[in-house]
Amino acid sequence: MRVRRFIERPRVFALLLIAPALIFFFVWNIIPVLTLIGVSFYNYSMVTGMPPRYIGLGNYEDIVYSFRLWESFGRTLSWVVVTVGIETVLGIAIGILFWGSVRLPGRRLALTLLFTPMLMTPLAAGIFFRLMYEPSIGIINYVTRWAGLGTFSFLSDRSLAFAAVVFVDVWMWTPFMVLITLAALGSVPKAELEAAEVDRLPWWRRLVTVVLPHAKFILMIGILLRTIESFKTMDLVFNMTGGGPGTTTELVALTLWRRAFEAFNLGWSSALAFILLLMAIAFTSIFLFVLNLRRRQQEREASA
Amino acid sequence: MNGSRRLQQSAYHLGLWLVAIIFFLPIFWVVLNAFKSRRDILAVPPQLAFTPTLDNFRDLFARETFAPYMTASVTMSVAAVLIAIAVAFLASYSFSRFKPRGTDFLMFLLLSVRMVPAAAVVIPIYMMYNLVGWREDWLGMTLFYAMFSIPFSVWILKGFIDGVSERYDETALVNGGSRFHVVFKVILPQVKPGLVASFIFNLIFVWNDFLFSFMLGGRTTSMIPVLLSTGLYADGGVDWPFISALTGIYVLPPVIVVFLFQRFLLVGMTFGTVRGEV
Repeated sequence: MRVRRFIERPRVFALLLIAPALIFFFVWNIIPVLTLIGVSFYNYSMVTGMPPRYIGLGNYEDIVYSFRLWESFGRTLSWVVVTVGIETVLGIAIGILFWGSVRLPGRRLALTLLFTPMLMTPLAAGIFFRLMYEPSIGIINYVTRWAGLGTFSFLSDRSLAFAAVVFVDVWMWTPFMVLITLAALGSVPKAELEAAEVDRLPWWRRLVTVVLPHAKFILMIGILLRTIESFKTMDLVFNMTGGGPGTTTELVALTLWRRAFEAFNLGWSSALAFILLLMAIAFTSIFLFVLNLRRRQQEREASA
Repeated sequence: MNGSRRLQQSAYHLGLWLVAIIFFLPIFWVVLNAFKSRRDILAVPPQLAFTPTLDNFRDLFARETFAPYMTASVTMSVAAVLIAIAVAFLASYSFSRFKPRGTDFLMFLLLSVRMVPAAAVVIPIYMMYNLVGWREDWLGMTLFYAMFSIPFSVWILKGFIDGVSERYDETALVNGGSRFHVVFKVILPQVKPGLVASFIFNLIFVWNDFLFSFMLGGRTTSMIPVLLSTGLYADGGVDWPFISALTGIYVLPPVIVVFLFQRFLLVGMTFGTVRGEV
């Protein structure tokens, strides 16, 4: 009985419920991050068999001066801007197209087909597009030949490989922005839309003055999530191009993987991983800031 | 509705279906290839008309690697997500009702773990697992995936529990119910949609994971995506019949799940930060 009363105390009970999550968090997050920070100060390679040697900030210095890494960061930046940009524009356009589709026959099946690309294993998508991009037997080259454009070796041509990978990412993730756009449009109050209709506003004024103010937060959340995911891209290129030709499709996540598990340079990689962790925390802060803005706006609307 | 409006609407609907089909086309091509013989897959020009064959699937099921990888995929993803949801449900109830100090900060940290590139997460875990001997171990892998599924589950479930009025808790407590009674008998039934959403979303994520499985799992504990990567080449070329059949089979479960539970997709894909009808 005394045990029960002890457990029933709010503080004890609250802690009891969080305990399993905290254990997970401690074992799989806190300890690894501390390990990561620790190892990042060492010259630690698993290939040489030498014991780790303390080198202070040596790894970080090396990262700052690593031209190849900066190149990879730059490439990742343009990757994020290009993919997220195209996906957003295309996704919003298709989303608006699907807005009035409530009476579409077989709507559920149509949406499932549309959303399927993002359910595919990214690695498998990468592998399969390799077949489709193949110069001699690939279906995409068959189409370009049929259209009289000639044959392209998309994945081994330095000037085409990046665009070819962008295309696959756009195919995979535009549906996500469609999903977000549909949700954003769904959050626009019906009454205001009807009022705009009564006022006979032209469609673009309706979009700017009625739809956008309500839809913008959900859209922003979607864009931020895509930005973060796009920054992490690696599975997709892993078997499709392997970062090549040369390093033209080597994104920073792949660079990190290579240094860690092909070169087994764990000290250097830990330092880079820690830097990426800090960047992720920054991204998350921005994400939460937008989320809070939205919550505040909703509260204001509720009280108004 | 008069004739021209109806025609207009039909054209509109046709256009929508066309967009959906265009996005589905590459996957359709995968599935089609799975039923082709090696010669037909590699044929120039690509074959639309061909004699369908089940040989690729027969071949696939006969491989001794297929069964263990598939078993690992199914058991690990389901077990990991179930563990994660149990842990996350308890924690999010506590976060939502008792709001212990540091709740916001902890929620923030949980989320940022999921924002880090996978390779950065796997490096310290790899070293740690090497040390403890959890690499190539079913439990080690499953617990890792559980940890990875907890953050989004907490985010999704806390949103749902926040949406249940605290009056329910108070009423049950006043009527002499224990706190456990409140959690499991009063709140749990009301957040079922949240449970389903977090289950589906995390399942899809774990199901499709490649990197962690590749680095941490061994021969018996790796999932199908690893098999796709390691079985890519055979006899000096890419083994397309094998890849096609395997990809075709592997994409099926998520598609069926999303077809059946479409309204949960939005909640899942945005970790519960966006809710609404699609």
